[in-house]
Amino acid sequence: MKNKIALKADHIVKYFYEPEKFQVLKDIGFEVKTGEFLTLTGKSGSGKSTLLYILSTMDTSYEGSLVINNELLTGRSQNQLAAFRNEHIGFVFQFHYLLLDFTVLDNVMLPALKLNKKSKEEIEHKAYENLKLLGLENQALKMANKLSGGQQQRVAIARALINDPSIIMGDEPTGNLDSKNTRNVFDIFKQLTREKGQTIIAVTHDDDFARNSDRVIDLSDGKIVQ
Amino acid sequence: MFSTNYKIAHTHLTSNLRQTLVALLGVTFGISMYIFMNGFMGGVNDAQTKLAFTSLAHVRIYNDGPSDHTNLIRAIVPEHTKVRISNAKVIQYTTGIKNTAAILSLLQQQPEVVAVTPQVNINVFFRNGGNKLNGTLAGVDVTNENKVYHIANYITAGTWDNLQFRPDGIILGEDLAKDLGVNIDDNVNILTSDGVSHNYKLIGLFRTNVKQIDQSKTYINIAAARQLLSENQEYVTDMQINVQNYEVTEPLVSRVAPVVPYKVESWQTANQQLEAGAQLRNIIAIAVSLVILMVAGFGIYNIMNMTINEKIREIAILKAMGYSGSDITQIFLTQAMVIGLLGGLVGLLFGYAVARIVNHVPFHIAGMSTLPMTYHVKDYIMSFLFGLVTTLVAGYLPARKASRIDPVEIIRG
Repeated sequence: MKNKIALKADHIVKYFYEPEKFQVLKDIGFEVKTGEFLTLTGKSGSGKSTLLYILSTMDTSYEGSLVINNELLTGRSQNQLAAFRNEHIGFVFQFHYLLLDFTVLDNVMLPALKLNKKSKEEIEHKAYENLKLLGLENQALKMANKLSGGQQQRVAIARALINDPSIIMGDEPTGNLDSKNTRNVFDIFKQLTREKGQTIIAVTHDDDFARNSDRVIDLSDGKIVQ
Repeated sequence: MFSTNYKIAHTHLTSNLRQTLVALLGVTFGISMYIFMNGFMGGVNDAQTKLAFTSLAHVRIYNDGPSDHTNLIRAIVPEHTKVRISNAKVIQYTTGIKNTAAILSLLQQQPEVVAVTPQVNINVFFRNGGNKLNGTLAGVDVTNENKVYHIANYITAGTWDNLQFRPDGIILGEDLAKDLGVNIDDNVNILTSDGVSHNYKLIGLFRTNVKQIDQSKTYINIAAARQLLSENQEYVTDMQINVQNYEVTEPLVSRVAPVVPYKVESWQTANQQLEAGAQLRNIIAIAVSLVILMVAGFGIYNIMNMTINEKIREIAILKAMGYSGSDITQIFLTQAMVIGLLGGLVGLLFGYAVARIVNHVPFHIAGMSTLPMTYHVKDYIMSFLFGLVTTLVAGYLPARKASRIDPVEIIRG
């Protein structure tokens, strides 16, 4: 299991066209093993977030190829990619991004309801478990807009985990958290890689967070430095 | 999957109730106006038709004489032949309809015919002392005349059926009686164009509210009219026919006209202005209500667009989580549909209420007491369907826009 390849990026090249043509990513290529805890670091504008959005399949305008779980994703239609994301990728955004008119529980359940592979009761049970993991079980029935920023971000993490995705991607997943909660989230991520063999790819500015992960890829000016 | 999308749509609708309500009201207003306008126009048309058919049968058969009797020789001599006729006289040609019994039985066999009445119409002068007025004397088959024109409903003094047993009786329009200065049981003297004079006893009055009729028309028994003209017991000048649906006269006319050697004319051909009026009113009603629905549609379009702009981040998150474009379309179309269905149902009730209220507004012209109104199920179904289609179209365009949102663009800011 340790040596299976979860994600393979090959010769990724990406341009921004606004305000003028600018090459953000220059021939990026790397592999991520199943169960690996990988962090992407780099200064602002180094292209690390851009790379993450390409890896997450949401951004499709790039050159090169992307393979996740031995499936070539480059060139697939938006709807096919959406279905793939739903099942295989959990995503934690830089800013929390919950649906604010829904309860915390609904927010966590939504990706699983879309996947529609388990009964509603099972999904609800799983959602409660995830919230408990992040210390939010008491907030489950509150509206999402009543939560603090840090709480919302943890809800987003609980949501990312709901479908047991093979890869969890985070854009500054601990950006809004205090040190205690950051520690907690880091431990959860670590545990997921070790016990369930889930792969983590996270963009971070937090040096501690990066240092403790399995591997760090440092980007500078759209190139991998190390 | 649909239940989840429905749940999201439901949350969107209930999280901003005021906006939802405004959209609902738009549809409600459009549909209720559609119902009201069509009901009202229908009522106006019905009232107009009812008024028109007090003096008009659906189909009329009469002898209109040779079409051109100024130069009968032209028909038989070759062209370019010089013909000189001086002091031409029109010879007597047959007036009225011959062989009426055969025509009557032919008409009664037609499936759509509900009533046929033979008439002997005579242009006469009415005299009461020095007072001379001209008008028409209609010799009628009392029972059948009532079947075609329901004239008994318009009798204001005396009884219509009495005419059957009173060869000396005459029934006058109220205005004519007033102009002549005669009352019930007075004598009315008439003078025909052939110079025959005869006295009748006034046994009844009627008011149809068509001024022209009330001022000039009178009824006597058909036998008395034949006697007045010294004609035989078959003599008839007009045959008036009513069919089941007054709008469908064409089949009867085209079937009967070839076999009857007289002019067969539908009311539409004889009175094109009535037909035109009815059609124009219908067009106005449809145009006005469609415009209202369209405005309501724009309202919904606007509100849906606003909602989507407000929820643009949510849509991006949903897509990032794996919701497809068609899920997003479904979510917003569901909202439009709920608005259309709810607004439509309320609109049906509201439209009915408005129609009921307007139906009670007093209106005392031409024999009406309140504003006319119709309540056709067809109008209600049509308005509901139109409303639904409008909301779906108005909802589909923004929903499609929402389904095409690129999540990366929104999430990256």
